[in-house]
Amino acid sequence: MSFELPQEVEETRKRARNFALREFTKELIEHFDETEEYPNEIRKKVFDAGFITIENPWNMLVTMEEFCRVDPGIGLSTLASVFGSEILLLYGTDEQKEKYLYPTLKGEKISAVAVTEPGAGSDVAGISSRIEKSEKGWILNGHKMFITNGTVADHYYLLARSAPPSKEKRHHGLTLAIVERKWNGVNPVKLKGKLGMRATDTAEITFENVLVPNENIVGEEGKGFYIIMTFFNISRVYVAAQSVGTAQGILDLLLEYLAEKPASFREMEYVQFALAEISTLIEAARNITYKAAAKVFSFNPDPALTSMAKYYAAEVANQVANIAFKIVGIEASGSKLEKLYRDAKITEIWEGTSEIEKLVISRMILKKIQEVK
Amino acid sequence: MASEEQKLLVSMIEQFAKEELENVAQKIEKEGISKDIRKRLAELGLLAATLPQSENGADIDRSSFSLVLMTLAKYSASVAYFIYLQNTLVNEILFKAQKRKEEIAKIASGESTGTLVHDINLNFPLEIYIKGHELYGANNFVILPDADFHLVLARSEKTSYLVMANPVKIEKKKPLGFRAISFGFASYKQTIEEDRIILKDADNLLKSHIFDTSDQIAAIAIGMSESALEKAIEYSKERKAFESYLYEFQPISAVLSDMKGRIEEMKKALMLSEDTKDRILLKLNALELARSASRLALQIYGGYGYLEDLGIERYYRDSMYLTMLSSNYIKDIEIISKNIISPDAFKI
Repeated sequence: MSFELPQEVEETRKRARNFALREFTKELIEHFDETEEYPNEIRKKVFDAGFITIENPWNMLVTMEEFCRVDPGIGLSTLASVFGSEILLLYGTDEQKEKYLYPTLKGEKISAVAVTEPGAGSDVAGISSRIEKSEKGWILNGHKMFITNGTVADHYYLLARSAPPSKEKRHHGLTLAIVERKWNGVNPVKLKGKLGMRATDTAEITFENVLVPNENIVGEEGKGFYIIMTFFNISRVYVAAQSVGTAQGILDLLLEYLAEKPASFREMEYVQFALAEISTLIEAARNITYKAAAKVFSFNPDPALTSMAKYYAAEVANQVANIAFKIVGIEASGSKLEKLYRDAKITEIWEGTSEIEKLVISRMILKKIQEVK
Repeated sequence: MASEEQKLLVSMIEQFAKEELENVAQKIEKEGISKDIRKRLAELGLLAATLPQSENGADIDRSSFSLVLMTLAKYSASVAYFIYLQNTLVNEILFKAQKRKEEIAKIASGESTGTLVHDINLNFPLEIYIKGHELYGANNFVILPDADFHLVLARSEKTSYLVMANPVKIEKKKPLGFRAISFGFASYKQTIEEDRIILKDADNLLKSHIFDTSDQIAAIAIGMSESALEKAIEYSKERKAFESYLYEFQPISAVLSDMKGRIEEMKKALMLSEDTKDRILLKLNALELARSASRLALQIYGGYGYLEDLGIERYYRDSMYLTMLSSNYIKDIEIISKNIISPDAFKI
């Protein structure tokens, strides 16, 4: 059993690290954090450098880690410009791939996943946006919330209810559709004033009598929930990598801080123990993330393991920030460490809160009782 | 237990905070603590709360002042910290030194503001010196750098001084928390006349004063925790997921109840702290509580909490910022260890 990643992936990691250090300058990081603008020019450079390729997901995973290590806001914004592409890769028709997926993977279009609603976040089956059959196609009405890339995406992979839920199977009757941002009736509004990850574009979107052509329905009608859950199994691994990268970035900053201080400070056992704790937490988070990724990328996903990775790595990112602050104290004020503290929090919320991850884990484990019986 | 007099005081402060702070708390964060608010705080006697009436003070005792800070922090942590800064870190020091009584009066009336510039919570001393009567140096971590005057801790070859000065240059930075109060860089180059020297051997005296008033930081932290928890409980009764209210889920209910218990215990402890060691310990625990409560509130609110509109992310920033401003964990734990274990503790 080897814990080493293939040489090609390690080379990508090095390239990603160098790219992020070169392109995500202090000035740009501060600019996008302050203005909450979307870093479109950097996104283009990321494409030109060939970092976005869902054909080799390990390369994307280590790139996510290394980008977020330098700046989670810019890092995630650029890589998530193809957000949801796996949905079309796995379930899309050739026409859908031609029209939406390939241009996105070439950097010509930006995609987004529109699932969360004002009244339904983690509870995906609780969504109330409606998509109904009509003579010309489908009519969409609804309201989506906290949609990453919401105002910059060219198209959304959107989940809406096509049939009323049954009491026993609330997740039945949900259908996935591709909806273009510029269509009539689509109104995205950028949400500003986020705690962190301010380079990411986040929007509230209303859909009013939007006509969706028949050919834009993805997969089977009424089976959208399963498609989205399959996608979450993939996307959560990337959020875990985002968390690992953020945590590693915090350790980097702490080491930079310590390097500037007299050796006597580094020799304090209290400081050394803190470093040991941080390093151990990150190593454990990275290992569980890679193990979950290995399952997902080999088409043998383990939802419990994926949820463990997402939940644990997010917790580690936040815990590591707290430990680092105990050492650096007020000197962290206005520094990048402070920014990573703000950025880290989202990892416990998006793509399924930590509470939802715990539910997924426990349900999968409880199934084993039945197996034992 | 709070006395009847203290309950009356808290009720008065609560009424003021509800009527004049609660609805504008977000505006205060964006625009700062205005002169009008300062005037109102002055009218209530909160800018020289602990000083005797002969010094324009409100003559409030120590534990009552903690209750005032705790109550105000529930509505605006920035205002509570501002009062702590003006009272504890400026007016009380001037009063104890029996210096510059005219400045005490100006702060008490809301006419001017002061700040304290020191390095007691930093890992390494700052380079602010006094040579002869010449003050020079800079500090990157000044709270309220645009105050009307600064009390600056400066070192000479043999001792240290606290002097009253005005910076030659300030640069404001956006702070992590308490955004109603400015934060940033200040540099000094000034001749200090004799009447501007507030304390000699100031390092030790300041340390002693700051550590001994740690319970006031704890009070602010407890108030913030209580407010964050109240908002989390409120939201858990409004928000549904999986067709149930959030509070109906066992883990959520348990963690909210547990937090309530921790806060109530901490409120009791606040009234019981007897010495500096107790107060530092109380501060450390209360700061940890504030960080946990704010994290819990943000988690309960989910994505909505991450946006500044609802004021929940503010708790998350403020609680860490208060920790950074008021505590150096290594120094705090060293004092406690030496007190409760042995003077030789925390050596290596």
